[in-house]
Amino acid sequence: MTPFIGYFMLGSAFLIIVSMAMMLTRLIGGPTLYDRLLAVNSFGTKTVLFLCVFCFIIGRPDGVDIAMLYALMNFIATIAVLKFFNYRALNVTLMVNDESER
Amino acid sequence: MMSAFILFGAVAADTAAVTHSIDWVGLLRNVGTIISMVTGLFFVMAGTIGVLRLPDFFTRLHAAGMTDTLGAELILIALIFQSDSLQMVLKLLLVAFFLLITSPTATHAIAHAAYKAGVKPVLGKYSLPDVEEDGT
Amino acid sequence: MTLFAAAEPVFAVPVLLLDISLMALLVVVAFAIVRMRSLFAVVMLQGVYSLVCAAWFVSLDAVDVAFTEAAVGAGVSTVLMLSAMLLADRKSTPVPMNRQLGAFIVVCLAGAAMLWAVGDMPAFGDANSPANSYVGTDYLAKTAEEVQIPNVVTAVLGSYRGYDTFGEVVVIFAAGLGVLLLLGLNGNAGRWVARPNGQVVNDRSAPSAAYAKDNRSEDKKKSGEAET
Repeated sequence: MTPFIGYFMLGSAFLIIVSMAMMLTRLIGGPTLYDRLLAVNSFGTKTVLFLCVFCFIIGRPDGVDIAMLYALMNFIATIAVLKFFNYRALNVTLMVNDESER
Repeated sequence: MMSAFILFGAVAADTAAVTHSIDWVGLLRNVGTIISMVTGLFFVMAGTIGVLRLPDFFTRLHAAGMTDTLGAELILIALIFQSDSLQMVLKLLLVAFFLLITSPTATHAIAHAAYKAGVKPVLGKYSLPDVEEDGT
Repeated sequence: MTLFAAAEPVFAVPVLLLDISLMALLVVVAFAIVRMRSLFAVVMLQGVYSLVCAAWFVSLDAVDVAFTEAAVGAGVSTVLMLSAMLLADRKSTPVPMNRQLGAFIVVCLAGAAMLWAVGDMPAFGDANSPANSYVGTDYLAKTAEEVQIPNVVTAVLGSYRGYDTFGEVVVIFAAGLGVLLLLGLNGNAGRWVARPNGQVVNDRSAPSAAYAKDNRSEDKKKSGEAET
């Protein structure tokens, strides 16, 4: 990696942090629950990208594992939150509801 | 195939530094990195600004969901151009695969939940489509 | 990775700038957590806090801590906090000013004590610090030939202190089970229907020892269905 590419990646990491901060404002000020959920999901994607770029900058390939874990954990957290707010439970598929409540 | 090309590029970069000739493969890798990274950052920033500025939930959702997926894939491709080892390439491809699968799924789930919960879009002069049964 | 190692000293100051901006994000998120009234947003912000925290741990070369923070902070504790929030209110009530003042004084004193204790810590990367001088050197020297795991911390936790880690896992599993039982994650209990052999069994016909107290949802109570 030449120094030019290194500084280029540093600038990219700064831009990703800036977009994380902008997404944070939507998370703090979002009017509805779903706006906040969308902002958290997008924030997680940007964190994954930041971790990948950052690992290249500091030359430590372990961090990509954490990025991989995030990419999965972010998805699981989003789906869990949606399930909670739709059904008030996590194990909805295990039971049959007699009334169509949603 | 791609990783073999990149490995060959790393080897060629080492030999080229000894003979002081122009390192064409390294140059190509850098150019690919820069083009892909700039495009990806453009999409990511456009999606973020869209989430900040657009008027209602569903338009924010389309900005975030669509551009984030494309921008993330492009940034990961830019990193793949720069990686030296096969292990790194495979890890980054795995991250890209996960993001490609999970990000549209999460966006769809959020949109579905919001629609079911009765979040109404700001329509202006258009009218809401008459949907009785949405096939869930 | 020799190319990266050669390029590393050039980026020392800009990487510090990245660290500082991550910490600024952490401060913003912490203030937002303190100030927000909507508890759902607080839960989401806590997930974001641990995300940023783990990214910062990566830059501090503590990859294993970052891994734990990612799994526990962003995943498990978000779900636990949400289920706790469903049992409680959706909004927090404002705390009166005199109680806030007492907590603020306590926090300031604790922070000042921590800053005072920083002076006794060894410098970052000090070769003569306790972590680098006594038994740590043996672990660093022998892990490569005894366990063949590249990360020394992982080798210590997983192999040298394997039984200790196993005990910790058992304790954490028991604690998690207790929390899940207390929270009652099957939130629509009381509205279930089972169909063994085509015969409909619901909570009115089932043996109702578990529902002796009225733990039904509010709309059921309002619609006046009989308690069996």
